[in-house]
Amino acid sequence: MFWSIIEANRKKTVLLVVLMGLFLILFGAAIGMAVLGGDHYSSGLTGALIAAVIWVVMLLTSLYASDTILLEASRAREVSRETYPQLFNVVEEMVIAGSLPAMPKVYVVADPAPNAFAMGKSPQKSHLCVTAGLLALCSRDELQGVVAHEIGHIMNRDVLYMTVAASMLGSVLLLSDYFLRSLRYSAVRFTSRSGKAGKAAGKSAGVFLLVAVLLAVLGPVFARILYFSISRKREFLADATSARLTRYPEGLASALDKIGKYPGSLSAAPAVTAPFCIVNPGSQSLSDSVMSTHPPLSQRIKILRAMSRGAGYLDYLKAYVEVTRNRAALVPQSDLKDAGHVDIRAPHDEPFTQPQVEEVRRRAGEIIRAMNDFYFITCPCGVKLKLPPEFAGREATCPRCGRKHEVKKPDAGTFAGVLRSTAAMDSPRQAREQKVEIVPGKWQSISCQVCGHPYEISPRFSGSRLTCSSCGSVIRFSPAASEGAQG
Amino acid sequence: MTTGTMFLLALMLLIVALILYCVAVYNSLVSLRNAIRNAWSQIDVQLKRRHDLIPNLVETTKGYAAHEKGTFDAVTQARAKAAGARSLPEISKAESELTGVLSRFMAVMENYPELKANQNFLALQEELSSTENRIAFARQAYNDQVLFLNNKVQMFPSNVIAGMFAFRTEGYFELEDKAERDPVKVSFG
Repeated sequence: MFWSIIEANRKKTVLLVVLMGLFLILFGAAIGMAVLGGDHYSSGLTGALIAAVIWVVMLLTSLYASDTILLEASRAREVSRETYPQLFNVVEEMVIAGSLPAMPKVYVVADPAPNAFAMGKSPQKSHLCVTAGLLALCSRDELQGVVAHEIGHIMNRDVLYMTVAASMLGSVLLLSDYFLRSLRYSAVRFTSRSGKAGKAAGKSAGVFLLVAVLLAVLGPVFARILYFSISRKREFLADATSARLTRYPEGLASALDKIGKYPGSLSAAPAVTAPFCIVNPGSQSLSDSVMSTHPPLSQRIKILRAMSRGAGYLDYLKAYVEVTRNRAALVPQSDLKDAGHVDIRAPHDEPFTQPQVEEVRRRAGEIIRAMNDFYFITCPCGVKLKLPPEFAGREATCPRCGRKHEVKKPDAGTFAGVLRSTAAMDSPRQAREQKVEIVPGKWQSISCQVCGHPYEISPRFSGSRLTCSSCGSVIRFSPAASEGAQG
Repeated sequence: MTTGTMFLLALMLLIVALILYCVAVYNSLVSLRNAIRNAWSQIDVQLKRRHDLIPNLVETTKGYAAHEKGTFDAVTQARAKAAGARSLPEISKAESELTGVLSRFMAVMENYPELKANQNFLALQEELSSTENRIAFARQAYNDQVLFLNNKVQMFPSNVIAGMFAFRTEGYFELEDKAERDPVKVSFG
């Protein structure tokens, strides 16, 4: 069951936090002994105390303000069910599957790079953000996989633990930086004091100095490696949770595959949010090193695709051992004795296809515009006008046919149009071509034969074509027979 | 202190420990039963949601596929039967049937490309597939809880306390869904 995983998770993380805390205090003590003069014990104690105070201050700030700061920094905007029905449905499904006590707040980040992250220290009060690019790129099953991964982070209390770990990493970095700096400016003072205080005292101070320098140089490296290894482990666990919740590992695998192939990276997300993202924001080439918050994408995909027999935690762990050849399991088997078998469900969507980058960018742009209250007006001549909110109550002129349009509050249908174009991408667009004959010198009213959308066609359309703005099918306009004979 | 008082003290301690254990088991049984009720109400909400969606779905699609009368009737009948079911096995059976009929209905509607461009239909399709998912997920959560309760009610020593306070094993909520049975769906063409 879930809580045994959460419990195992908590034990491990508490151990790591205690280790890091001990290291921090030791480090503080060593610096204290080296920098502060006088009695070793009291100076060591002072150093340890200072280190602890720095950590507590950093921890409290990050615990009480991180959510709001990070959400602001990543330009996330809370959205409503009316504008994103599918996203809300998917989130709600996962909330039911994971028996979360409350629905997270849902945000969309206006960024064309596909990514998602979760915030919030407890499942009672959490936030879930997806980028416009992710909505544009993923099919429903894939979106479900990604959302389940984020819900997994929330369920496993990853955000709380990673916040604690990040504050420790920050304290270690701060202390070592401070110490190495102070060393450079006060090297003279050490030598003069050790000379005065006698040979023995000078010798022991020198030893402490050496230890402190060693810790200051190696500490940040170790703290980083430790931090990133915790983070990577959490990613694997969130993947396992995603497979268990959706009962469909291929959804997440395919989403990761698509995201990995998508060029460009998330620019708006601050580096601190990295452990909570679905993939590393920023360059993917870094993802193989020990200094990465995420395991290599290819490995995560391989594990998910190796789960052929079931979608439970045990199946994920088996696949994990198989792929990574790492015998040290993520979670002890004893914690999973009542995990149970979970069947893989059938896919809901058509087979997944990698959409064109331009197509995703265009769609993401549309989602971002809709988020920013842009007005969408489809001119009868086929041009889709996208107007910024400042145009409200004014008149807009179509650049092609010169028609005037009144810009009023968009109705609910406008956004449905955007969503529909996203949904249409799931299945390869069927190029259903229709032919319409143009009557020379005369405007005519036609309607799309697939969806019935009405169009007013100018005679100038002769010989060209039009993509139906509401269903995407292509309408070709053949010149009339008489016109053909003339021209 | 005599041996008698020592013995008495030990006996009292034992009785207190036993009472504390009984209280703990009783409380966990009650909380499990409540969790099951809660999980069931979640399923109930989603089943109702599905029943409410079906008339809308039929209304929207009728205009496009008027001659599929048999399919429409089958869906309407299955819905009426499911809405009228009262006991758990009855509900299980009727809802499984409805699931099957609905998936056949959606498969038939796939043959009408005009429907795929209809905004209402697409919104309903999304709502319906989301509802199906929710039912599946809520069912899983419910059955997990039932397994826990049944283990407690049947296993020694908690079964003694369960027997004293008349806790009974609960039935699982099963939905026979063909699609769930065979996960591999390969289609050519």
